[in-house]
Amino acid sequence: MNRRHVLAGAASVVTAAALNPAWAQFKPTRPVEFVVHGGPGSGNDVFARALIAIIDQEKLSPVRLQVANKPGGGSTTASAYVMSKRGDPNVIACFTNAWITDTLVQEAANNRIVDMSPIVRLVVEPALVVVRADSQIKSMADFINAAKEKPGALKMSGGSITSRENVVRQLLMQSTGARWAFISFPGGGERIAALLGGHVDMMIVDPSEAGEQVRAGKLRPVAQVNDRRLPGFPDIPTLKEAGFDIPNVPQMRGIVGAPGMPADAVAYYEDLFQKVTKTTAWQKFITDNQLDGEFVKTAELKPFLNKFEGQLRDILKEAGAKVVR
Amino acid sequence: MEIASGLLHGFAVALQPANVFWCFVGCFLGTVVGIMPGLGPAATIAMLLPLTFKMDPSGGIIMLAGIYYGAKYGGSTTSILLNIPGESSSVVTCLDGYQMARKGRAGAALGIAAIASFVAGTVGVIGLTLIAPPIAAFALSFSSPEYFALMCLGLALVVLLSGPSLVKGLLALLLGLWLTSIGTDLFTAQSRFIFGQATLLGGIDFMVVAIGVFAIAEVLAGIQAGEKAKLLPVPSGIRNLLPNWEELKACRFAFLNGSVTGFLIGVLPGAGAAISSFMAYGVEKAMSKHPEKFGTGVPEGVAAPEGANNADTGGALVPLLTLGIPGGGTTAIMLSALVLWGIKPGPLLMTEAPDVFWGLVASMYIGNVVLLILNLPLVPLFAQLLRLPVYILFPIILGISIVGAYGASGRLFDLGLLVGFGLLGYLMVKFEYPTAPLILGFVLGDAMERALRQSLMMSQGDLTTFVQRPISAIMLGLAVLILLSPLLRRFNQARVRAIAENG
Repeated sequence: MNRRHVLAGAASVVTAAALNPAWAQFKPTRPVEFVVHGGPGSGNDVFARALIAIIDQEKLSPVRLQVANKPGGGSTTASAYVMSKRGDPNVIACFTNAWITDTLVQEAANNRIVDMSPIVRLVVEPALVVVRADSQIKSMADFINAAKEKPGALKMSGGSITSRENVVRQLLMQSTGARWAFISFPGGGERIAALLGGHVDMMIVDPSEAGEQVRAGKLRPVAQVNDRRLPGFPDIPTLKEAGFDIPNVPQMRGIVGAPGMPADAVAYYEDLFQKVTKTTAWQKFITDNQLDGEFVKTAELKPFLNKFEGQLRDILKEAGAKVVR
Repeated sequence: MEIASGLLHGFAVALQPANVFWCFVGCFLGTVVGIMPGLGPAATIAMLLPLTFKMDPSGGIIMLAGIYYGAKYGGSTTSILLNIPGESSSVVTCLDGYQMARKGRAGAALGIAAIASFVAGTVGVIGLTLIAPPIAAFALSFSSPEYFALMCLGLALVVLLSGPSLVKGLLALLLGLWLTSIGTDLFTAQSRFIFGQATLLGGIDFMVVAIGVFAIAEVLAGIQAGEKAKLLPVPSGIRNLLPNWEELKACRFAFLNGSVTGFLIGVLPGAGAAISSFMAYGVEKAMSKHPEKFGTGVPEGVAAPEGANNADTGGALVPLLTLGIPGGGTTAIMLSALVLWGIKPGPLLMTEAPDVFWGLVASMYIGNVVLLILNLPLVPLFAQLLRLPVYILFPIILGISIVGAYGASGRLFDLGLLVGFGLLGYLMVKFEYPTAPLILGFVLGDAMERALRQSLMMSQGDLTTFVQRPISAIMLGLAVLILLSPLLRRFNQARVRAIAENG
């Protein structure tokens, strides 16, 4: 078996070898299972399918990548599935922050991403702090001051308590002493509707979701949650530039492999996805969705995830979530 | 005038041969998807998305929307014939649709469902054409207290769905409310009632509950009743397979009610098609001259919810196309499709991409006609299914149920749950507990709890927020009135009797 697939892949090994001389042995011979933790149409699912479309268009993989939807319990069903595929070089998954936060707050979610084979981080999703365009609030400082004047009276809409928007809120409240309410809504549409309808005062949202509302003059961005300014919003200061020096909490998506995946397979996927990020189709995808395509390689990803897990644990504890591990 | 020229432009786009073709493809796929339980429009659109990358955006959105509203047409088929709800929005259709089928009026029920879908679907598109911007503003004015009141109004319908014993109906409702609270709580990220099962963290899939307590329970009850080889009556002759004049006349108000209720609830981003079909059924029963006949197979009981879930699509496209706000799973993925094609969905879509907006709107008029033509001839064909003897029909029902429940989630665990809910449904039927309130509680409970907690967080714990806001106060008042109506009726009857006796 081993010899046969080495022979079959021999031709392309030559090209791959140029990038990864030591590990370019593995080449998938059957369709690769690409696990996503949402149902069809969820953010992660759309992301995975867009990746596959690019891989197909550019003919980057000798086999097909097939999306395997494993919804249930946030990321728990998917991570349990990946964990059960120990050593399988044909199973990869698309991870997000939820893969870390779920294991921190859910007793039943005991499959940590750092125990699998993290491969690469593909994107970081920046966020915008937005208010209604007719609001009195013109800057981040305005909002913080208003919240200080009437503690608890201002409201923001967002997702779960473990979401990045709540983490940023906690960090801002800690560093400024201001206090405001966090109202959870299950869907992104409802969150924006609550702000547009004037039922909440602020939200922290993906630029792709809020960009059109800003352009139409319905919402006003007052700050951005990222290390650097987005090309689409050159005039909006980052939180740090606005005078709020809180640690940046990246909202990320990346690729993780089954636990105990052979090193040559990990190197193969690292190379595959690095090639994806070099295509023009990927660049267009990044620009259209206002993402930050800061690629992190395998060697740096695992230490990063370990550190990030600790950071999130502290923040969630502060936020009042019950942290279980 | 702007609307007229826009629509004219839209028809110019939609009537291009390629776009007519995509409209047909979408409607056809939607019908198929709707008929198959477990495979929903959101999943279908997601799977087809990569194929549309190179399509013209107008053609693409026309096709995807066709799948979306086409699925609502097909959703009633298995509800009526087999008591298997194909989509969450066609659960209510089971109540009277399946009873009609048992009385030999399966063809009529399917025909009425198709006609109601056509009428309400078209009314929904007319609403989308004429009043999209103002109605979108109305949708935004709905805040959590209003949603809470809306859900309360929905839950009050338990009175109308309970049958003879209100207490049993309320117990079934409570069970539904409890079942829907299983899983991870959005506000605290804590799990509730999962009994150490990680698979329950995401909660129980609606389809599993609905298929279990309706279809599986029906099969079990049928076996026990000894329906060994008894056939359901299927009249011969095409004439008897389509709705007759009497039945259509009975549905006049239901067509209108379904259209308006479905559209209005459809525009609310936090509501959903299942709620609109329940509401339309409730309104229909409350306004009916013979409410006691509901649940025994009255055509209005099919027309109202089927109409509502089709008008709902027109409504749901209002916030999507005018504001760029998706109300549910299917519209969310249509939004990401627009982004992938390089269209910017948002408040400026109507003016910046008139081809997409007006092309889509015009195509929906065409699509509704296509669906009617596609579905009506299928009616006599599908009705023949019931000619099968029970020993073949029951395994088919079980097979479709299992595929549907598994298909919705892809987890074997759910099949165990399906068996459990089947037994539960059987016991409920046996002990004369109504199952519809359980489903009602399951559908509305989650949204109601959320809206309540959101409201109280917004008002900093002040309960008066619900009565200070006019819309929510009115809806809560209506809910109380509905809940008290059986008591009032009993009181009134007692009074009349007393007067007669003393008289």
